[in-house]
Amino acid sequence: MLRLFRTTSFRFTLIFVLLFTWAVGVLGAVVYRASFGAAARQTDIIIDNELIVLADLFGESGPGMLTRVIRQRTAWRDDSIYMLIGAPSGAVLAGNLTALPPEAVDTEGGFFDFEFERPILDAAGREIGIEQRQARGKLMRFRSSSEAEQSFLVVVARDIAAREDLRGSLANILLRILAATVLLGVIIGILFSRSLLGRVETVNKTARAIRAGDLSRRIPKTGAGDELDHLSDNLNSMLDQIEQLMTGMREVSDNIAHDLRSPLTRIRNRLTDAMKSGPKEQEAALQATLEETERMLGTFNALLSIARIRSGESASVRERIDLVAIAEEMAELYEPAAQEAGFELTLVTAPSPTVKGSRELVSQAIANFLDNALKYAVGGKHIELRVGPAKNGSAAISVSDDGPGIHPDDRQRVLERYVRLEESRTTQGSGLGLSLAAAIAHAHGAKLRLDDANKEPADGEQKGLRIVMVFPPADQK
Amino acid sequence: MRILLIEDDAEAAAFAAKGLREAGHVVDHALDGETGHKMASAGDYDAYVVDRMLPKMDGLVLLSRRRDEGDETPALFLSALGEVDDRVSGLQAGGDDYLVKPYAFQELLARVEALGRRRSAPASSDVTTRYQVGDLELDLITRTVRRAAQKIDLQPREFRLLEYLMRHARQVVTRTMLLENVWEYHFDPQTNVIDVHISRLRSKIDKGFDKPLLKTVRGAGYTISDAD
Repeated sequence: MLRLFRTTSFRFTLIFVLLFTWAVGVLGAVVYRASFGAAARQTDIIIDNELIVLADLFGESGPGMLTRVIRQRTAWRDDSIYMLIGAPSGAVLAGNLTALPPEAVDTEGGFFDFEFERPILDAAGREIGIEQRQARGKLMRFRSSSEAEQSFLVVVARDIAAREDLRGSLANILLRILAATVLLGVIIGILFSRSLLGRVETVNKTARAIRAGDLSRRIPKTGAGDELDHLSDNLNSMLDQIEQLMTGMREVSDNIAHDLRSPLTRIRNRLTDAMKSGPKEQEAALQATLEETERMLGTFNALLSIARIRSGESASVRERIDLVAIAEEMAELYEPAAQEAGFELTLVTAPSPTVKGSRELVSQAIANFLDNALKYAVGGKHIELRVGPAKNGSAAISVSDDGPGIHPDDRQRVLERYVRLEESRTTQGSGLGLSLAAAIAHAHGAKLRLDDANKEPADGEQKGLRIVMVFPPADQK
Repeated sequence: MRILLIEDDAEAAAFAAKGLREAGHVVDHALDGETGHKMASAGDYDAYVVDRMLPKMDGLVLLSRRRDEGDETPALFLSALGEVDDRVSGLQAGGDDYLVKPYAFQELLARVEALGRRRSAPASSDVTTRYQVGDLELDLITRTVRRAAQKIDLQPREFRLLEYLMRHARQVVTRTMLLENVWEYHFDPQTNVIDVHISRLRSKIDKGFDKPLLKTVRGAGYTISDAD
C-alpha cells in the first residue's frame, strides 16, 4: 500500500480527485446560491412591497381600514403573516401571530428571522396540534398625522419553513455528491494505479528474468495499443537487438574457435615434424606455416568485419551513394583479373536511384560476388555485373555467372558464416565472402537473394548463379 | 631515416624495430604515450610510427598534440581498429597513413619509407609535375607518358597507377597501398586483381624495351626502378 502512494499514477489520481472535488464544490455553491439567494431576496422584496401598500392604505383610509384589510388577508391562511398592534395600548388589533416575536423589538425597520407556533388543522379545519414554523419579517411603526399620540406597530412576515427545509436538503445532497466524488475518485485512482503497477510489475519481472540469464524472455503485451504497449514494443525490440548481438558475439567466438583451431593444429604438427627433420624440410615447413598464418589472418579479419558490420558499429551506411558509379569502378578493377581467369566480365547499367550506404562496404560486397564467381563458376565463360532500378523506387545490384550454380537447398546455407560447400573444399579462401556480403546487405537494410542465372539451360549450358542485392529506397529507413 | 616507434607491445615493437634497422633505418622505441611524446619533442625524426592505443597517453592525443605544437613529421598509425570510421579519426588527428594490425612487416616498411619520401619531397609551392625513372617519363600536366621518347597510351587508371609507382620510385609499394591510393578501397579482394593491372601496365611500359623497370618484389609488392 505504501508503494501505491509513491506511484506516479496515484499522485496523478490524487491531484485529479482534488481538482474534481473543487470543481464539484464550486458548482454546488453556485447552484445553492442561485436557488436560495434569489428566493431569499424575493421574500424581502415582497415584504417591503406589502408594507408600502399597507402604509399607503393607513395614510389614506386610517387605522380602521388597515385593521380590516389585515384581518381579511390573515383569513387566506397562506404563507403570509401579519400582526397589527395598537400603541401605546399594546392591544393586538389583527393578525395571525399570537405574540410579538422577541427578535422584532430591536430591529425596527429591519428584517429579522423568528420562530412562531402555528396550529395544525385537519381537512375539516379542526385544530389538531401546534407546529413550530420559521419565518422572516419586518416591523414598522405607522403614525397617523391627525392623532399624533396614537401609532400602530405593523409586522409583515413570510413563513419560510418550507424553503428552509428545501435549503437543508439541497445542502445535504450537495455534500453527499461531494463525498461520493471524493470516494469514487480515490477508488478509481487506486484501481488505476494497481492495474498500472501490475503492468509495470510484469515489465520488472521480465527484466529480472532476463538479468537472471533468460534472454529469450519478452514483455507480454495487453493488446490495448496504449503507451505501455508501445513501451513494451520498444523494450522488446531493444531486447531482440541485444539478443542478436549476443548471438553474434557467441557465433564469432564459436567460429573463431572452429576455423582457427584446425590451422593452428596443422601448424603445430608441421613444426613438430620439422624440428625432427633436415634444414630443407624445415624451410618448407616454415614457408607453409607462413602461408597458413596469412590465411588465418585473412579469416580472422573477415570474421571481425562480419561481427562489426553485423553489430552495426561499422562505418556510417548513411552517405548517398551512386550504385552505377560503384559498379563501374568495380568492373574496371576486376575486368583484367576476370579476363585472365578466362571470363568475359560485362557491365550492364541503367540509371538507378541513389541509395543510402557506404561506398566501401557496397564495393566490398560486389568484390566478394565477383571473387565468388571467378572462383566457383567452373566451366563458365561469362560474368555479368548489372545495376538497375528495382521495384518501389529502390535499386538492385546483381552478379550472374554461367558456372554450375548452387543447388536451391544450399542457397541459404552459403550465406551463413563459414559454409563452403563440400565440392569447393579444395579451393582456397576463407569461405566467408558471401557471409560478409550478407552482413553488408543486412547493415544496409538490403535483401540478398541467390537464384539460377539461367532457368532453362540448353544442352551443354549450366544453370549458373545469380546473386541479387536489392537496396531499400534512400528515403526509407 | 630516423624513426620513432611508439608501441606498448614490446615484442611486436622489437620485431618491427629489428626489421626497420635491417632495412637501414635508425629506430628509437618508446613504450608508452608520455615517453613517446617527450622523445618526439626532443628528437629530430623523419617519421613516427604510433600505436593508437597506448598507456598513459592515447596515440590520437599524442599526435594531435605534436601537430598543435607545429610538428609536421609524417606519422603512421598502427591499430587493431580497421573500420573506415577509425581510419578517418586517425587521419583527422594528423596521421598520414594507417596500418591495421596484424600487418605484414613488408607492408610497414613500404609505408614508412613512403612517408619518409613524402617529407624529403619538395615543398608544396614547388609541386612536381614530372617524374622520371630511367628513360621513362611521366608528365602530370600534359598527362603523357613516354619511354625513350616514344609515347605510350595509358588508360586513366593505368596512368594513376604509374603515377603512384613513380612518385615512390625505387621504393617498394605493396598491393594494399596501391588499392588504397589508386582505387581508394580499404579491403583486400580475394582475387589478385592488382597483379593483373600491374601486368597490363608492365606490358605497356616494359614490353619491347631491353631493361624492365616495373619489378615484382617477392612477398612484398612492386617497385619501379632503373637499378639492376
